[in-house]
Amino acid sequence: MSEYAFRKINIDALEEEVLLPSDLYDPDPRGPDGVLSDAQRKSGEVRNLVSKGDIPGALNAILSEPPYGEGVDQAKDLTTSSLLLILNSTRAAEIPGILKALDQEQQDHLMAYIYKGMAAIGQGSDVSGSVLLNWHAQLTEVAGVGCIVRVMTDRRTL
Amino acid sequence: MSNTLRPYLNAVRATLTAALTLENFSSQMVERHNKPEIEVGNSPEVLLKPLIVSRNESEKVLIEPSVNSIRLSIKIKQADEIEKILCHKFTRFMMMRAEGFVILRRKPLPGYDISFLITNFHSESMLKHKLVDFIIQFMEDVDKEISEMKLSLNARARIVAESYLSTVSCPI
Repeated sequence: MSEYAFRKINIDALEEEVLLPSDLYDPDPRGPDGVLSDAQRKSGEVRNLVSKGDIPGALNAILSEPPYGEGVDQAKDLTTSSLLLILNSTRAAEIPGILKALDQEQQDHLMAYIYKGMAAIGQGSDVSGSVLLNWHAQLTEVAGVGCIVRVMTDRRTL
Repeated sequence: MSNTLRPYLNAVRATLTAALTLENFSSQMVERHNKPEIEVGNSPEVLLKPLIVSRNESEKVLIEPSVNSIRLSIKIKQADEIEKILCHKFTRFMMMRAEGFVILRRKPLPGYDISFLITNFHSESMLKHKLVDFIIQFMEDVDKEISEMKLSLNARARIVAESYLSTVSCPI
């Protein structure tokens, strides 16, 4: 049988013009270290703003230029946890007003983080599903289904 | 339906509506073949980001979109051993008759209880909103069905136990 083992080699992966997942988007120009320091600064800022009760300002800060791509897992974790902190500490009645104040790109990023939060439920995440589902419903109402399509087609994984 | 289930199903409905934008797409690897790209999975440029909608750790839906097909996997709530057995029997019954259900997949994804595979041919021959409605209806009914089966199973077990044990019971 071993003489046929070569038939199982995926020769397309050895070609020169093979397309890798990393070819599908441009890497972050800030570099891994810049991204991490940015994320740390922002999560500190967010904690400050949340304790003052300024939820729109905190969301605005965290959703502009979030970390994406490979090799920045620590920065991603920091950003995700501070975003979930914001979502958890918002009163339900305030959500529509806050969402309308965001621009389209920020809404897309927020949707991506909501899906990321839902995927993490059951793996030691402290945010409850009903909070995230409520945010999801409100955001879909404001930004439409197109927002979800943009999350799915975005190659830059947040 | 309970009010707590509604937001979950609404989120699934919105995500599924967004994902069901399929078009015909021939295989890039084999000439004159047309395969669901999500199942083949060897061209990363046509696969989109998989999304998970979850209510709690025991109830979630994984939606994996691609250019010509989407795969939707459901994890059904199973609170105890009886529900686990009932759910397994129920999904197995349907998956053995998968061609009757057209969009049902014969095997679920690991970690999930039942999977659907919708290709562009399905979304062309059937109405898109009806497909979405069907999935949502299915998710509503499967919970109801399993809890009903559990109740009737318990009632039946009680009757059987009573009739068996009445023959050996002795007045104290």
